[in-house]
Amino acid sequence: MAVSYSPILVAILFAVGFGLVFLALAMFMGPKHETAEKLAPFECGSEPIGSPRVRFSVKFYQVAILFLVFDIETAFLYPWAVLYRKLSCTGAMYGLVCSGNVTFFGLTEMVVFLAILVVGLAYVWRKKAIGWG
Amino acid sequence: MLDNAHSLRAFLPELIVAGTVLAVLFVDLLARRPHVGRAAALTAVGLVAAGAATVMTMRADGYGLFFGLIARDPLADFFKLLFLATNLLVVLISLRAREATDESAAEFFALTLTTTAGMMLMASATDLLTAFLSLETVSIMSYVLAGFRRRSRESAEAALKYVIYGGVASGVMLYGMSLLYGLAGSTSFTAVRLACAHTPAAATVLLAVVLCLAGFGYKIASVPFHMWCPDVYQGAPTPVTAFLSVGPKAAGFALLVRFFGGSLPAELVGAPAPWPILLGLIAAATMTVGNLAALAQTNLKRLLAYSSIAHAGYVLLALCAGGSDGTRAILLYLVTYLFMNLGAFLVIIAVADAGIGEEIAEWRGLGRRAPWAAVAMAIFLFSLTGLPPLAGFFGKFYVFAALLARGGSLMVTLAVIGILNSAVSLYFYARVLKAMYFEAPTVDEPLPLARLHAATLALLAVPTVALFLVWSPLQRFVDSSLGQWYPAEMRPRSAQLDRSVKRSSVQLANTSATK
Repeated sequence: MAVSYSPILVAILFAVGFGLVFLALAMFMGPKHETAEKLAPFECGSEPIGSPRVRFSVKFYQVAILFLVFDIETAFLYPWAVLYRKLSCTGAMYGLVCSGNVTFFGLTEMVVFLAILVVGLAYVWRKKAIGWG
Repeated sequence: MLDNAHSLRAFLPELIVAGTVLAVLFVDLLARRPHVGRAAALTAVGLVAAGAATVMTMRADGYGLFFGLIARDPLADFFKLLFLATNLLVVLISLRAREATDESAAEFFALTLTTTAGMMLMASATDLLTAFLSLETVSIMSYVLAGFRRRSRESAEAALKYVIYGGVASGVMLYGMSLLYGLAGSTSFTAVRLACAHTPAAATVLLAVVLCLAGFGYKIASVPFHMWCPDVYQGAPTPVTAFLSVGPKAAGFALLVRFFGGSLPAELVGAPAPWPILLGLIAAATMTVGNLAALAQTNLKRLLAYSSIAHAGYVLLALCAGGSDGTRAILLYLVTYLFMNLGAFLVIIAVADAGIGEEIAEWRGLGRRAPWAAVAMAIFLFSLTGLPPLAGFFGKFYVFAALLARGGSLMVTLAVIGILNSAVSLYFYARVLKAMYFEAPTVDEPLPLARLHAATLALLAVPTVALFLVWSPLQRFVDSSLGQWYPAEMRPRSAQLDRSVKRSSVQLANTSATK
């Protein structure tokens, strides 16, 4: 059992070692000409004007949590869409053709789920959590 | 085992509770003015309907729902009714509380209802996945409830501490569960049980179970995962504290019973994985730490927090005894605990409503100022101590009886530690009584209780006394809840009969073979 996993261990050791060796080579052998221009922040905006460790407004978290509602919705909609034909079919499936009766089971399930989400959305809306006010 | 569509009928109680959550929120949104009474009434109707649905769809046997993710059996039904009753009482308790203002009542009741739905799932979980998900549902709702008074610093601190401890405990438990899954290749309790019985890696099983115990121990506030308990109980709004000290704790025990009874094989008890020793150590430490720390408390909510830790220890003793006796003791204890602990917190709420704080010193002379509240508190505290003629006595009696029935030096030692602890607990409960009855009040004017509080107090005090007098119906109900779990042990005579029949038939076969 343990033996059969040994190639994975070797691969891990190789990957780690490879990275470390090349980092070390660059560190010891690479040319270093540090000028003020090279050390300045580049490509991602302007000079920092203060400590980045400031307290963020709680509104950011609020938006992030609201985003989760729709995120979860999508995460469930995808697998549901893939399985939709199967969920609606009482018998066996031959490719895309259903051999039994076609029901609204799959549709009902998703409508119930979305209805719950809509209640959540309505709640958030009514409590004025949407918006930056 | 039923598939998803066919499980819905047996899943009706949970569906009703979940539907009530939405209804409470939605009605509050549609209404022109939010109103605490309407939200409470809707919640109560939902809870009663769920209870009725539980009773109506009850069956004497057990079966799996949703492809075996949860079970519907009498044990689960017992706990479901317990949780629904707890939530109903908490609705009554919180009606006049500061937390249930007209604006926030709907949210408050929706949160407690969601917790109840989670607890109901916890009591019926037969799979590591549902166990974890339901435990998290209960935990996350509890965090929000603990921090429900948003403007209060203590409440926010309680919620934050709860979240951090809870997050760590969940993470540790999840790691333990992943080890169990690694051993079994499946998340179902039955598969885990089978794998644990046949694996050569007993040390891994032990490690996994200890890690899982971190999560369960956190929910029931057992040592060494009890640290959050006093701070959270003190900081959280009092109705929430009352709810948390009964509901999630009972749910944690339900899950422990399922986990140890349903997923850990009895054959492992003793030899390679010493569950009784492990649980016994935790139980003894939990009782002792809870009771000794309670001695030094001056704040009543903190005192009751430590007392609830100690009570988790007593129930763990019953779990340690195991078998049908132990499980019966757990169920009986939790029912008596529901009434006496909710009652003790309700006295604090009722007295606070009349303008007296949570410090024991402020309760001086309460026996003269509010005689009925003081009498009720005396009943609840004596019952928590386990003195006859109150329900708490039977709760403890069955725990110790289960330990002694199992026998062995470990069980007897644990019983002795438990009884010594009960003696210690008498001291700090009596301190409250002393303040109420033997110390002069600073102000002598009588303290009128709200009518609702007086009625609810009576509703809780009467069972605490009456259960002692009329005990057998409860015991019959508990026994019927266990019947399906311990069929062999519940009928010892017939089991012996079966064995003797088998033996004689073997003899018969032997004699006929020699002929």
